Amino acid sequence: MKLTNKLKEARVAKNMTQADLGDKVGVTRQTIIAIEKEKFVPSAKLALELARALETNFDQVFWLE
Amino acid sequence: MRRDLLPYILSRIVLSLAFGGLFYLSGSSVWTAMLITGVLITLFLWAPNSGRYSVHPEYGITALRRDERTQVINDQAARNAFVAVMLLSGAALIYLRATGNPSDVIVYLKTILLAGVGVYYISDFALRKTQ
Repeated sequence: MKLTNKLKEARVAKNMTQADLGDKVGVTRQTIIAIEKEKFVPSAKLALELARALETNFDQVFWLE
Repeated sequence: MRRDLLPYILSRIVLSLAFGGLFYLSGSSVWTAMLITGVLITLFLWAPNSGRYSVHPEYGITALRRDERTQVINDQAARNAFVAVMLLSGAALIYLRATGNPSDVIVYLKTILLAGVGVYYISDFALRKTQ
């Protein structure tokens, strides 16, 4: 099973740039890009922080496929 | 230049000057020491914008931190370099025993360590492209 995400859609819906989101959760813009492209699988902690930063539920942004 | 990064920048300027001073004291020319200092300051000033570190001005002189992804990349690159150094050391040991010329040991050691550094940076570069 693969961890899939809708991080880009959730971020754009909140009018945030990759840099804004990265600053909010304390990671680089490159890390946000890698997660959005599903090249990098974030830890549970970072995934939860991203969901919180985007003011959405975890399972609306990340799920197993 | 970001004002909130002033403690980081000042500490790195001091560090670069100290490093340049050490080169001068160990016999390098003033120009070489100044060049090394300049290169180091440039690298330290570039680092916050390099995308390699997440920037946390609240930590003062240690404002640059690796995030989760860059830490994974760094760990993998370090493992690759370690394996390369171990394999090359083994090969060199076998070769030196077979040829019986122990005077070359230092040369081999230097080459192996350089190769390890090379493997680290090549791995780092490749992993950044794929992860």
